[in-house]
Amino acid sequence: MLLNSVILILQETLEAALLISVLLALNFQFRKSWTWLPYALIFGLVGASLYAFYISPISEWFDYVGQEVTNASIHIAIVFAMVCYTAIVSTNIAGRAYSLAAALIVSLAILREGSEILVYLSGFVYQTEEFPAVGVGASIGFGIGLSTGIIAYYTLVKLPGKWSILLPLALLAIFAGSMASQATLELSQADWLPYTAMLWDSSSLISESSIMGQLLYALFGYEATPSAAQVAAYLGAILLLVISACIPRYYRRVTQQC
Amino acid sequence: MKSPYNFKNIKKFTQGLIVTSLLYSTIIYAGTPVIKIAIRDHLFFPSEIVIPANTKVKILVENHDPTPEEFESYELNREKVIAGNSKTVIYVGPLPPGNYPFFGEFFPRTAQGTVIVK
Repeated sequence: MLLNSVILILQETLEAALLISVLLALNFQFRKSWTWLPYALIFGLVGASLYAFYISPISEWFDYVGQEVTNASIHIAIVFAMVCYTAIVSTNIAGRAYSLAAALIVSLAILREGSEILVYLSGFVYQTEEFPAVGVGASIGFGIGLSTGIIAYYTLVKLPGKWSILLPLALLAIFAGSMASQATLELSQADWLPYTAMLWDSSSLISESSIMGQLLYALFGYEATPSAAQVAAYLGAILLLVISACIPRYYRRVTQQC
Repeated sequence: MKSPYNFKNIKKFTQGLIVTSLLYSTIIYAGTPVIKIAIRDHLFFPSEIVIPANTKVKILVENHDPTPEEFESYELNREKVIAGNSKTVIYVGPLPPGNYPFFGEFFPRTAQGTVIVK
């Protein structure tokens, strides 16, 4: 029971922690302030609590697929926020827009991951004999996820030259792809998207249930049996981010602004 | 002089088209098979379900435990939280024949099952 809660909380924390560390690394490179972070954390936690508290009625929306629709909406909103964020840092727009975009990404990510952690933990509040083990396991898992995020942050900010911005941005694009792919999966689970064929089956190479598979899932949104729609969404989101990073610079060069 | 494209004929054709498509739509929408899985004491009942190949199936999961459970399957690519004493719907398929295991992520040691596609 303890091991299970370690793994579960670690998975959820890792996904959010990596995203936050990439954003903070970029924050450092662009010499921006950290003042948006506490607000984002608070909003994320409040949102996660509300979602977890109302998970029952939300799950009944849209003929029992309310959960998928809500999760997909959150993932799509994160991709949208990432596109705005990339466009904002590429054009050096005023600090408020930057803080808003960064805060939005972080709070939505915490909302999504945090809600699942809270729903899991809420189930044990009434089972007093198992709660200590689950509580300890959850703390350990959270600690490992947090530490990994911190290590990732310091690794990213110590990168040389142009890689200090390019690599975090590339990671951000990959996270956007992962979010889009998850949104697509959720909508097909809700039968809101039609069935598309499985593009490949790499479960013999890297199984999703293996440790490597879980790590790759947290980092890159790795799927052993992705559908065509998922792969299209993944690549499409990456393309969107690349475009939002390049077009402002191209536009500036064309109009000869400094 | 008398063209087959006068208003009366078009109206009748459209009415026929609407009725036919309504008939077909009821056939199509009535076609998704429903299978029930219950969660009781962190176990799935039944733990093995058989569904036809290449067919979309609606799984109705009823959680009779007071604690939430997460229905998860890597092979089926399905993941959903079900609150305590609640039920929910998960769509799977169309799938090629094979065995697709699923588990309860919150209580994986006991909650295990397989979807057998024939």
